[in-house]
Amino acid sequence: MAALGPVLFQAYELTRNSLEHSRSTFTRLIPTGIFAPENINIGIFGMGPFQQTSEGKAMLKADLAGVFPRSETLVEATRANVRGRLSREQLDAAFDRDYAALVSLQMEADLDPIVDGQLNWQDHFRPFSELFTGIKVGSLTRWFDNNTFYRQPIISGKIGYRGTSLQRYFRGDILPAEGRKKAVLPGPLTFAKLSQNMAYRSLADLVEDLARALKDTTTELSKAGYEYFQFDEPALVFDQIGKEELEAARRGFEICATGTGGEVALKTYFGDVGHIMNALLDFPVDCIGIDLYATSIESLAKYDFDISLSCGCVDGRNSLVESPNDLKGLLARVRDNVRSEQLVISPNCDLEFLPYSVAEKKVRLLSETRKVVSE
Amino acid sequence: MGSLPKAPWLLSYLRGKGVEPSDLDHLTKWSKISGFEAESETRFILAQPKSPDTERRLRELASLLGIRVLESAGLDYVYDGEANRIEMYEHPIRNSSGFRFYGHVRSFDDRYYRKAACVQKVGFRTAYHLVEFTFVKQRAKRKIKVPVTGPYTLAEWSFNEFYQKRLASQYIDFRKLKFDAKRDFVLDLAREIVRPNLQRLVEAGAEWIQLDEPAAVTRKDEIPFFVEAFNECTAGLVCKLSVHICYSNYRLLYPHILDLKNCSQLALEFANRDAYNELKLLHEFDDKREVGLGVVDVHVDTVESPELIRDRINYAVKLLGDPERIYVNPDCGLRTRTWEISYAKLCNLVKGAALAQEQAS
Repeated sequence: MAALGPVLFQAYELTRNSLEHSRSTFTRLIPTGIFAPENINIGIFGMGPFQQTSEGKAMLKADLAGVFPRSETLVEATRANVRGRLSREQLDAAFDRDYAALVSLQMEADLDPIVDGQLNWQDHFRPFSELFTGIKVGSLTRWFDNNTFYRQPIISGKIGYRGTSLQRYFRGDILPAEGRKKAVLPGPLTFAKLSQNMAYRSLADLVEDLARALKDTTTELSKAGYEYFQFDEPALVFDQIGKEELEAARRGFEICATGTGGEVALKTYFGDVGHIMNALLDFPVDCIGIDLYATSIESLAKYDFDISLSCGCVDGRNSLVESPNDLKGLLARVRDNVRSEQLVISPNCDLEFLPYSVAEKKVRLLSETRKVVSE
Repeated sequence: MGSLPKAPWLLSYLRGKGVEPSDLDHLTKWSKISGFEAESETRFILAQPKSPDTERRLRELASLLGIRVLESAGLDYVYDGEANRIEMYEHPIRNSSGFRFYGHVRSFDDRYYRKAACVQKVGFRTAYHLVEFTFVKQRAKRKIKVPVTGPYTLAEWSFNEFYQKRLASQYIDFRKLKFDAKRDFVLDLAREIVRPNLQRLVEAGAEWIQLDEPAAVTRKDEIPFFVEAFNECTAGLVCKLSVHICYSNYRLLYPHILDLKNCSQLALEFANRDAYNELKLLHEFDDKREVGLGVVDVHVDTVESPELIRDRINYAVKLLGDPERIYVNPDCGLRTRTWEISYAKLCNLVKGAALAQEQAS
């Protein structure tokens, strides 16, 4: 069996991400030798790089990117609440039903780690006007090249972690005890670039303070049982980025991505990551997420990935539901061009750009694709 | 600019919910404010069981109320507040062929729209604004400007299944596939749906049509598609034509927007971002067209004072050099505000324009 085909390595070496995280099964591999997947000792590596089916076959990992759309019922509930026809308690109950449904959907699809879908986030930054000091909510601004809008954060003072409403926005309480909990947060560079800076002299200073506040956030989330942190950095790839901004981002990740006690991913989308991949490989992360609908796969051929690569292969911005065989072919192109021992499949971005019924199908597609790839 | 909030009595009646006392109070209040001449007839029909005839007539009466509200606020150019359009995207899509609706997607906060996928080649089904326009033309006492959603926005706000699937086997680069498939989609919408609709409006006597293209600047590489589609659907039409674009980086429009043929006015949003300095772009690129100047923010409830509006207009005159180039309007449609807020903003818009005019003369 060769689910991913033979892979060429230089050396095997195990490291642990955090000594105190004894349950962590994350390992960083600098592998050596030629091997086929059946040679991997799942007992040593625990949860990764592959999950194992009951038949003992290695299966690709899959997870969700972040924000999930609200169901039609929840859409109506939020509208009714705005119009004064539904109480806050009734609305919270409607949210809880959607959270439960999303958790079930991910469990049925055998995804790992699991997210809460950020269902009550009005945009990627809004919760941080409560969680952090120094942020006010500004005017509506287009979210990259989408027909959705966020309220631009106004950096009005020194950024610091305040912690107000942490449990309201990170619903670890509804995530199952078994399986890993993933928190999705804005990366410090994207956060800084998409805000209106009225307080800091330089972008780099702002990135640094945001990174510190994000680190404090992950510290609290880690205490609450979160084991996986994804920092979204679409601003790294949407437009051409300068060296100084890239360096500011890297220093930011040195602060927010290290010592979290869990696994850390840097997710990019809406742009081609190929031209900055060399720099990203110096970031202290365990996984880099790429948008296969915006990135030239062939541009990644020159790199050796000693970390996971999350392949954003399910298009979160088109209702066209891909076939598992199409995705198998796409992943084959990735494997033909990219030297990485650990691939994860996911949507290329949040699924919030899709209606709920389509997003559900895309989640199931991840599960079907894993089965087809492992055959 | 376009929309007003919907008449609650119309919504209650159409939904078969039963008309509430508050709906009738709304009718009374706004009939009095606007001079709406058909309050009694409206009350009578609202008391009748729903039928195709009562529905048709109530829609006309809602349109008439919209016209009178805008006229009573003092606007020079009116329509009917888009009283009978579901919404600027859903209305044309539901009345064209080739689309399937999958459900709601979020626009911002707790606001959503129903998003459709293009699942077949698009096609003309009906002139979806003709009945509405004909009625407005018969009843309006002021001049008319007809808002019509443009082809680029219709494409950008839809999922492109058909045109992407059609080309998929020819591409391995997804970026190129999506780009070329989008162009095909936009141009087919322009030729097969929007142009026939515009032609029928002009034939029926429309003298000014505004193409609403809020999505025009969403993807900067595709701005030439928006220009190409505008030209495709308006070629040869004998009519004043303008384009409305809002909540966008207007610098990205240039220089492409200079290639819009037969477009005499750019109706732009400024109040939301206090972005009046962006008017300098017209000077920088020697764009001598008229400007529809957005002077009230349609996403906040604060009602701008006439003096603030006057100051905004005066600043625009200073930048553009010629007050004759300036038409004053809200940033965008007012359908997300209450009737009270919408009306107050419109009345102050008119007062602010009058103050500016006084100072200029």
